[in-house]
Amino acid sequence: MISSEDAPVMEPDTMPVGCAVQTSGLVKRFGDRTAVNQVDLRVPAGTAFGYLGPNGAGKTTLIRMLLGLTRPDSGSMWLLGRPVPAERSAALRRVGAMAEEPRFLDHLTGRENLRINAAARDPGAVGRIGGALERVGLTGRADERVAQYSTGMRQRLGVARCLLADPRLLILDEPTNGLDPAGIVEFRGMIRALVAEGRTVMLSSHLLDEVEKICDTAAIVDRGRIIAQGPVTELSAAGARTVVVQVSDPGRALPVLTSHPASRSVTEDGPQLRIGLGPDAEAGRAAADINRALVEAGVDVYQLEVPAPTLEERFLQVTHKFEEEAVA
Amino acid sequence: MSVMIASLGGGRAAVVAGRLISAEFLKVRKRRGLLAVATILTVGAVAAAGGVLAVLHAQNPAKYGPAGGLGNLANAAYLLFTLGTVAAVLVGATMGAGDLQAGVFRDLIATGRSRLALYAARIPGGLALLLPLVALGWAVAAVGSVLLAGRLPRPGIAVMAQGGGWMLLAVTVAYLVALGLAALAGSRSTTVGILLAWQFAVTPLALAVAKLGDLREGLLTAGLDRLIPAGLLSGARPDPVSTTMSAAVAAAVIAGWALIPLTAGAWRTCTRDA
Repeated sequence: MISSEDAPVMEPDTMPVGCAVQTSGLVKRFGDRTAVNQVDLRVPAGTAFGYLGPNGAGKTTLIRMLLGLTRPDSGSMWLLGRPVPAERSAALRRVGAMAEEPRFLDHLTGRENLRINAAARDPGAVGRIGGALERVGLTGRADERVAQYSTGMRQRLGVARCLLADPRLLILDEPTNGLDPAGIVEFRGMIRALVAEGRTVMLSSHLLDEVEKICDTAAIVDRGRIIAQGPVTELSAAGARTVVVQVSDPGRALPVLTSHPASRSVTEDGPQLRIGLGPDAEAGRAAADINRALVEAGVDVYQLEVPAPTLEERFLQVTHKFEEEAVA
Repeated sequence: MSVMIASLGGGRAAVVAGRLISAEFLKVRKRRGLLAVATILTVGAVAAAGGVLAVLHAQNPAKYGPAGGLGNLANAAYLLFTLGTVAAVLVGATMGAGDLQAGVFRDLIATGRSRLALYAARIPGGLALLLPLVALGWAVAAVGSVLLAGRLPRPGIAVMAQGGGWMLLAVTVAYLVALGLAALAGSRSTTVGILLAWQFAVTPLALAVAKLGDLREGLLTAGLDRLIPAGLLSGARPDPVSTTMSAAVAAAVIAGWALIPLTAGAWRTCTRDA
């Protein structure tokens, strides 16, 4: 009899259009605290996905549940189309994961640590050790004991360990921690290269810049709950809250702008006027209305712009940081 | 067809088990400090004891008898049993809690490999280091007992073989107890402390309390005493707990001591948050 763990699994070569990771109503509690609260997550296959949230938002707990390191209290999960934990072994076979900071047996070399991990994987994993080390730039230091590695080298070795699975899905928890600026740039390139090969990368981070520069899609999580999810560009655009204009006569434009229903505030910024929009205003529509109002008031509009918002602005909005800062 | 599939499945499982065991052996053999201590406690201690006796005999044969012979083999058996147990506890506790304490257990779980398979591989993985050292220590003792016997009676092949088997059994059980307890507790140092205190403080005290009567037969040491080859009994324990316990009961006591912690460790490994 072949155990379910070692049975050959009929897997498609490429993920069907759909989700590499999907959760439904996922809940995890620690005593009275709900670390993960009714999370419905969809990570599109073949993309870089950011799971973005402040420290303590439940990012790592979600990853730990996906990997079978801890059990959810309720809800359902699928990895690469397989339900977990029911088909956990088969689901994880092509998943490379780095949960929390990468840890190793310090008395072994980098290569030996990979050998330990490869032994628990498919027979081909041992043959992938050299390639994985090369890909993360550790070939020259692979035979040194990990105790001598810097934090950045450990991080790289952690990624190499993920690559042993020849992963269709990589799950990386705060992967750029400890990397120097050059290492971060290099890391971004590596993630994009992995995605270009058709792999899915899910990375959790509290670094907005990192998610914005690496990821195609993202979910923003706060206090265990997903509060926004979608393509990074859409998430950012949803955060647009200002319109900037440059006009012929700022003195005449000012009363028009302050009395405009979409406007909440107007500030002069050199030759420009910056209009802060009210909470109900949609930026594109408001810009058109403001333009029309200025022209009808006889003010020439030289320039009108809806500044591209950053994911950071959106993140702060949805995680109530604006309110907290205002209170502070 | 089903037989063929079963055969293929069994073969694949054996290959996987072999890889996991090899990985466990790599982990433990590369711990230089542990390897050195285990070597000193087994081969080193027996060789040193025999060497000291040989030197003393050479310097003053009238006062010190030959270093070999059956009596000295019995003494070596006691020494190797005592220190071999310490080595077994150190290696077993390291194997039981090492991955967890190093933080790599979660990475092994994340490969999808079953927790039970990962745990089971630790048993032969650690024994592959421990048993050869104990066997070598016993071989040194046995050879020395023959070569250095002088006028003393030499031990027979049967006693040496039975003694070796008993020694391997004793350290294997100590190893399994330590492995299981460490996996249960999740701590190497706690396990080492508890087991050494149990073996060298609690057990001797309990054995000395006559009021405990037959309850003492439930102790691991009592079970092992019962199975010591007769020729080595004087050295291993001059005052055995029981001469009435049957070999079957002794075997059951030893099996219980091995299996209960091992099962508890397996349960904890399969249920704990990694």
